[in-house]
Formats: sequence, C-alpha cells, structure tokens
Amino acid sequence: MSFTRMMEGNEAAAWSAKLSRAEVIPAYPITPQTELISSLASMIADGKMKAEYIKVEGEHTAMAAAIGASVTGARVFTASSSQGILFMEEPFWMPPGMRLPIGMCIVNRSIAPLGTLRPDHMDSMLQRDTGWIQLYCEDSQEVLDTIIMGYRIGEDKRVYLPVATCYDGYFVSATATPTNVPDQSEVDDFLPPYKHEWYSLLPEDFRMHGRETNMAKARYEVQQAQETAKAVIEEVEKDWKKRFGRYYDGMIEEYQCKDADAVLMTMGSMTGTARDVVDEMRANGKKIGLIKLRCFRPFPREELRRIAKKYKAIGVADRNTSFGSAGGGIVATDLARALYDIDERPVIADFHVGLGGTDVTMNQIEYMAKQTLRAAKAGKFKKAVDWVEFHDLGPVM
Amino acid sequence: MILDAVGSNTVVYGDGPCAMCAIRNIKLPNFSIHFSFAADGATGIVAGLRAKGREDITVVSSAGDGSIGDISLGKVSAAAERNENMIQICVDNEAYMNTGIQKSGLTPFGAWTTTTPRGKEAMKKDIPMIIAAHKPPYVATASVAYPNDLKAKLRKAKEIKGFKYIHTVIPCPTGWRFDPAKAIEVTKLGVDTWVWPLYEIEANILKVNSRSEQKPVREYLDAQGRFRGMSPEQIDFLQGETDTRRKNLLDANGKRLFL
Amino acid sequence: MSSIVRSFRPTVDQKKCVKCGLCQTYCPEGTVILTDEGILFDYRFCKGCGVCANECRVKAIEMVREEG
Repeated sequence: MSFTRMMEGNEAAAWSAKLSRAEVIPAYPITPQTELISSLASMIADGKMKAEYIKVEGEHTAMAAAIGASVTGARVFTASSSQGILFMEEPFWMPPGMRLPIGMCIVNRSIAPLGTLRPDHMDSMLQRDTGWIQLYCEDSQEVLDTIIMGYRIGEDKRVYLPVATCYDGYFVSATATPTNVPDQSEVDDFLPPYKHEWYSLLPEDFRMHGRETNMAKARYEVQQAQETAKAVIEEVEKDWKKRFGRYYDGMIEEYQCKDADAVLMTMGSMTGTARDVVDEMRANGKKIGLIKLRCFRPFPREELRRIAKKYKAIGVADRNTSFGSAGGGIVATDLARALYDIDERPVIADFHVGLGGTDVTMNQIEYMAKQTLRAAKAGKFKKAVDWVEFHDLGPVM
Repeated sequence: MILDAVGSNTVVYGDGPCAMCAIRNIKLPNFSIHFSFAADGATGIVAGLRAKGREDITVVSSAGDGSIGDISLGKVSAAAERNENMIQICVDNEAYMNTGIQKSGLTPFGAWTTTTPRGKEAMKKDIPMIIAAHKPPYVATASVAYPNDLKAKLRKAKEIKGFKYIHTVIPCPTGWRFDPAKAIEVTKLGVDTWVWPLYEIEANILKVNSRSEQKPVREYLDAQGRFRGMSPEQIDFLQGETDTRRKNLLDANGKRLFL
Repeated sequence: MSSIVRSFRPTVDQKKCVKCGLCQTYCPEGTVILTDEGILFDYRFCKGCGVCANECRVKAIEMVREEG
C-alpha cells in the first residue's frame, strides 16, 4: 500500500532500499548515515524486509563484501559518508571497472582535516573519476525515488555501472519532508529482479567477465557506459513519471529560466533554498533563473551545451573545492570545459558556498544571483572564483 | 589437495597474488581481489549465496601470510567474530614472496629476506592461535608434507557450519633457499622438529596431531639457505622457544585453550 | 611453452612404479597423473622442480636434462 508521511532523508533511503528488494547490505555506521543503516537493520529484524545484512567492521570491508555479493548475483545496497568513503577508496574503483551495478547512498559530509559532521560535496566529488554514476537529491522524496531508479539505470545491460545517490547530511538526511512511499508491487513492476549477464559464481553456471589485460580498452568501455547512461537516465526517469507521477527533469532542471540572461547552478539541498530566493527575486522583477544539476556523473555535457546559448552568465554554486586546480570548484571546472568551444558561451563564475556544512543562506544566494545578473550585463564576472562565506552578508536568513 | 577434499560444489575466493596465482587456472567458480581483501569479498559471496538460497555451496577463501597476517588481519578477525560460513585458508610461505621476498609478520625468527637481510629480529606471529582466541568452530594447522592429514581436515571443515580456519605451510624454494626437489622433505622437517606443529582446535578444545618425537631444530634450519646467517645463540634460542611451545601444546592436549 | 622454463624433466620407469600415487599428491602443479597404465606427466605445465623424483619411494622417477 502506498502511503505519504513526513520522513527524513535517511528513513526514505531505507524504505527505498526495501522497495528495491536489496538482497545483501554490507554496511558500517558513520554520521550522518547511521539512521539509514539502523532503519534497515530494524526493518530486517522485524521481518518487514528480507535481506542479508552484514555488520562489517569497516568501510573497506563493506565495499569488498559488496563486490563479492554482486559478483555472486545479489542486488547490493550500501551507504557511507566522508571518511568512510575515503576508507573504501581502494575497492571503490572495482565496481565500475568490473561493471557491477551496486547501489549506494553517499550521505554527503565534509572531509577532515577540520573534522566536521556537516555536509559539503567533497566526499562524493572526490570519486568523480571512478566511473560511478552520481545523482544528487534535494529532498527525501527525491532520495527515495532516485535509489530505485538508480538500480534500473545501473542494471540496464547497456550501462552496467554502479550508482551513487548523493544527498546532504543533516539538511536532507535528518530533515523531514512529506514523502510518498509507493506500493511494493508497483515498484516490482518498474524494477525487475537483478540478473547480470556477465557474472555468476554458481558452480553450474560460472561466468566471469573481463579477464582482459588491455587497460585502454577496459577504461574506454567504462567511459562508453557513462555516455550510454545519459540516454538510459532520461528513459528511466520518464518511465518513473508515467508510473508514479513524479519527474525530476532528467539530468538537469531549468527552473524559472524563461527570459533569463543570468542563471545560478546548484546541487543538492541548497537548491530548495535557491528556489525560494529566485521566486522572490522574480516577484521583484529580476530575471534570474536556476539550473539544478541533478546528474553529476555522467556530466550532462550535450544538454548543457544545447541550453547554454540562452544565457549570458552562469553562477555556479560549488559546495566543494579542488585545491590547486585550474578552476577553483569542481562543477565550475567541468562546466567551463563542457562549454569552452561552443560559439556563444556564457561567462562562468565559481562561488564557493557551504563548505564544511555551513548554511547556504538566502542572503548568500541573493548575493550570488545579483553578481550573476551584473555579469550578464557587463559581460564578465567581478571575480572568477568567489569565496562567498568571507563576505559579510548579514544574518542567516 | 584442497580442492580434492572439498569437492566441486564450491566457490573459491582468493586475495593477494599468492591466492590469485593458485586459483587462476582451476575450473571451479572463482573470484579474486588484488590484495588486502582476505575474507571480506568471501563474506559478500556467502551472503549473496544465502540470499539466492544456495547455502549448499561451500565457500573456500584463500589468502597468503602477508594478507592474513598483516594487511587483512582485521578482516579475518571480523569474519571469525561474525562466524561467517566459510573455510578460510592461509597459504603461508612465510614472506611476501610474489613481490620478491619481503618480510611479513609470519616470517620466522632469524630468516633472511630482502627487507631483513641480517635475519628477522622478531618472532613469527601465531595467527592460528589468534584466530582460535575468537573461538570459531574449527581451527587447524596443516602441512603439504602430510597430505592425508590436510585432506582430512578439509573434509571435516566442510561439514562444519560457521567460520573454519586452516593454516597451511607451503614451502618456497626461491625464498627459503633450497633445491626445489627437496620441497616435501624440508616441509616434513618443519613438522618433525616441531617448528610447525600440527594440531586442531575444535570448539576450543586442543587436539595435537604431531607425534611427540622431536628432531633437532638445527636439521630444519640447515636445510634452508635463509637461516644461514643465524648465530649459535640464536639457534639455541629458537630451539628453546620451540621446546617450550611443544611442551605447552602437549600439556594442553585435550584441554580447553582459551578463557 | 613449459620447456623454455624447465632445465630438467621427469621420466618414469613404469616397471619400477608401484602406482602409490604419492608423486601425484605431492606435485605442486598437478601435472603428474596416475592412470591405470602408470604415471603420465603433463609436460605443457611441468616446471621440472623434481619433487616427484625426490619423493618416489621406489626411485622410479628420474630427472633428465632437457634437450636444446
């Protein structure tokens, strides 16, 4: 039976793993993911969910066990954050390289040093080179929907890649919003059982893919899978819309972008705040729009190139940074590269906000919006990289 | 020998170069991860098979001394604590051999390796006893020099549910410095001098398999070039340690080992 | 392939062989096979280590130098 109630992101994720009929869950607790895995443990203990829950002793083991179970033919779910993601870094590269469609949640949390429990996107973005598909969610509903869609996308034999559903610790993981939990039989209809055509460890049907020694070919095939995933993501999201009535616009969403010269680009929970700010500014006659980047890997290069000519300035809100890099923030750098060689391209600025989990306030968003509007007129930004936190922008509002 | 004993309804999981090379050409379903993943990938396989309703399949996890003794020790300890239903085998050649003979925690006292050119100063880690302290259903040491004993132990392990650990010595002529043809002879000396005692611990009760007669440790050391640099004092020390261990094992034979 | 690596290869005197199977058990590579007709060596993979010859109780196996 489908039902709707207030639900925090972590609980929504647990429900989603249950609806996805995850069979093996190797998980190690880390704030802010803990409620997710303890909810799952409770559901299994209460008999509401049938899965093999492995209480591993560390994240390195969690990913290794995930790989073993996935090769055996089980649908795997796991989750981690921050230092835990770093601790599983070594085996993290195996699922995409081996083309194992493991599903996981990265409950975003910043990285030490300066140990903090609060969110930014460094932990998941550090994994951008690995080949994992990465989808970023704004609220509990999106988390629930995305995890299930993620299995459909990853397990598609044109893709065969693992999928990470990313959402901000605390701001999404521990914030309750109205969430609809769909009916199990409807989800079963949408998501068939997992069957990998290239792998099986059953003695009567032993199959093992990729004992390939040509590195370049192996790497190339992962890249091709990422490219193919773009179309599959769009397909799957449209199917979800048809069945469940909710649509996230595929890999990017253009919000209030009509006649806008200037747009902000956001990811994750700050998008919710940005929508409100944009609405208010629009009401006051400012033509500012918002692009929500939902899919970070594969980077929606083609789609962004197509729409970029409508805009004169894009202000990217990067909740991350890449030290010593060419462009400051990771998303802005990717975007600049994607748009570099189109005929009419917007100017791009990189705003560092919310690092270490500080609030991305309405004042900060308004500041970024105003800078972007100015840049649309002037033809350039005042600063290419702007650490917004250092400006005194008034109280948290 | 191992696969002979466990039969064909088996999945083999390997960690590290030692195990990967060993299982690379077998016909049974097998899967390996490169290194530092002893027992954990196998944990996933065990769970996956359970999820698929295939608990009839035996899971054998194999790893070398470098993996089990050093980098994956935590993994094996955790698998023992969770009582994972698998047979964990350690193929112990007493150093990181595949990468060119570097010392591991299981390299014996006095042995030459490229990273202990003057002979290892520390004693060998007693991994079987460390695992036995977790009180899993079955722990055993075995040797390729006594193949019937090895096979019997594997057959026994296969019938037990829960975490089984079998530690086998496998000689490495290149790293231990002896004529390859003498491999079984040297290994046998290891057992017969009580440097490598054979025993089982089933439900925390010790059973010594080795015969109580003991050859002098010197015979074992003289058969291998890696011990050539040992001084008479070191050899005496090693003889003393081996004698003590033998006495302790024989005294504890038939008794509960851990508190 | 294997003959490049091998300096010696095992040969067996089938008349001396008592078919105890110890050579098969001890071979590290699994290339010694006991059949009804006697011992066979899989020379594709035999490394020529000499354990089989060393352990044979009746000295039926001899290691001879590889030609060429």
